[in-house]
Amino acid sequence: MIEFINVTKHYPGRHHVLREVNLHMRKGEMALLTGPSGAGKSTLLKLLLRLEEVSHGTLRVNGVDVSTFKHRHIPAYRRRIGVVFQDHKLLMDRDVFSNVALTLRVGGLSGRQIQSRVRAALEKVGLGNRAQDLPATLSGGEQQRVGIARAIVHTPEILLADEPTGNLDDALSTEILDLFRDFHYHGTTVLVATHDQSQVDRLGLPVFHLERGRLHIPEEGKA
Amino acid sequence: MNLHMRLEAAQNALHTLLRQPAATLMTVLALAIVLALPVGLFAALNNLQQLLGHWRDQAQVSLFLHRDASAADIERLQALLEHGAGVASVRYVGKTAALREFEHNAGMAAAIQTLGENPLPASFVVELNPLAQSPGALRTLVARWGQEPAVASAQSDLRWVARLQAILALGKRAVWMLAGLLAVGAVLVMGNTIRLHIAQRRDEIDIASLVGATRAFIRRPFLYQGLFQGAIAGVLAWVIIAVTVSVLQGPVDHLAGLYGTQFHLLGLSSGQGLILIAASALLGWLGSRLAVGRHLDHTFS
Repeated sequence: MIEFINVTKHYPGRHHVLREVNLHMRKGEMALLTGPSGAGKSTLLKLLLRLEEVSHGTLRVNGVDVSTFKHRHIPAYRRRIGVVFQDHKLLMDRDVFSNVALTLRVGGLSGRQIQSRVRAALEKVGLGNRAQDLPATLSGGEQQRVGIARAIVHTPEILLADEPTGNLDDALSTEILDLFRDFHYHGTTVLVATHDQSQVDRLGLPVFHLERGRLHIPEEGKA
Repeated sequence: MNLHMRLEAAQNALHTLLRQPAATLMTVLALAIVLALPVGLFAALNNLQQLLGHWRDQAQVSLFLHRDASAADIERLQALLEHGAGVASVRYVGKTAALREFEHNAGMAAAIQTLGENPLPASFVVELNPLAQSPGALRTLVARWGQEPAVASAQSDLRWVARLQAILALGKRAVWMLAGLLAVGAVLVMGNTIRLHIAQRRDEIDIASLVGATRAFIRRPFLYQGLFQGAIAGVLAWVIIAVTVSVLQGPVDHLAGLYGTQFHLLGLSSGQGLILIAASALLGWLGSRLAVGRHLDHTFS
């Protein structure tokens, strides 16, 4: 499903952010991407989203080399992925419904389809009764749930999350990560970047650990 | 592309415009004034042409006939003249009438009576619309008439027609250049406005791009915004010209009355007005297209 083969990422005139990373995830698998700040976790996710381009090596998703995509093919590729950010990236002047609906509007769905899918996604994250509220009226955890609803409303093949619990307390972090695990149980491939060691220990999922751009192989038997 | 996506983008654009009525009105007014200037000058030129078209007595051709021209030749010549391009009127002046006119104008009745015989030839006086044809075409036409069997000589002064047409051509060229410059100005005004809207909605654009929005999806609402603002500015420009014409009609009536004539100012016809609106909408669209294109090049690169 996801294959990084000797992937290196560096910026002109700067150090290597990722060095010969080899990572393999099967379809429907869930893994955690750990490492200290600056280790390259976000860059790895950006490569997957094609927000950045691989400098050397090969990155395949479903057997297709992502780096060969032409610019015009990237939007369709991104629509197969759901992404959750630490800072939620919500539109603060739009209500919860509109924020979640954006993913479906981009995909060209009709108003009726959008209505039913957004409602279902909000129910799934426990915000069925907050559809008309503005994000500013929600707590941090609720805002993150809106971000998750937006990421899963189109039932993506892959769900990526970049420090989704970074600003949340332990209880909320547990709730959010359990939500990701639910999606994984329903067949979605999930990769979550986190530096929250307590959650890593609790979840007992395969771990890819990044340290100064180098990846450590996941520990066997934890999945 | 789904129709509902286009409709949604159009609604989105309208909503954005209505959410900021003051800013929208200022942009639209600025565009309308920029457009009204060259279009108003075109209208002024049209009115000038209309006015000059009335100066037919200044573009007069006299065709003097042979003394022995037959009635059939004269009749044929008259038919030819009446069907000539740009001919406003044809008047036959017989020998007797010519003599009477000469006596009356020159006051030489006594001298002519000593000749015993009327020396003046019959003639046709042809009045031309000075703007109906080019000076070259008018000269060719007059030369052809001069070769008719009944015609002894042709007399005309078409130099002033050439000068008049040259002045009008210069005026038209100047107005076209001004229109071109102001059209660029309109595109820049719209481009700048859309750039501000893009800046206001930068987060939305970035997030939409992250969740898989195409360039077209992001661009579309801004293009509709430009199109709508351009079209509204076109309507306003038309109104500005109509009001200006209406305000000026009174003084023009008074002035024409002093010359013992009437002159009705022309505004824009329905067709011209619709072309103005379409062109204005197109300029708005173009300005948006340029601004959004530049932004998206950054977003998608």
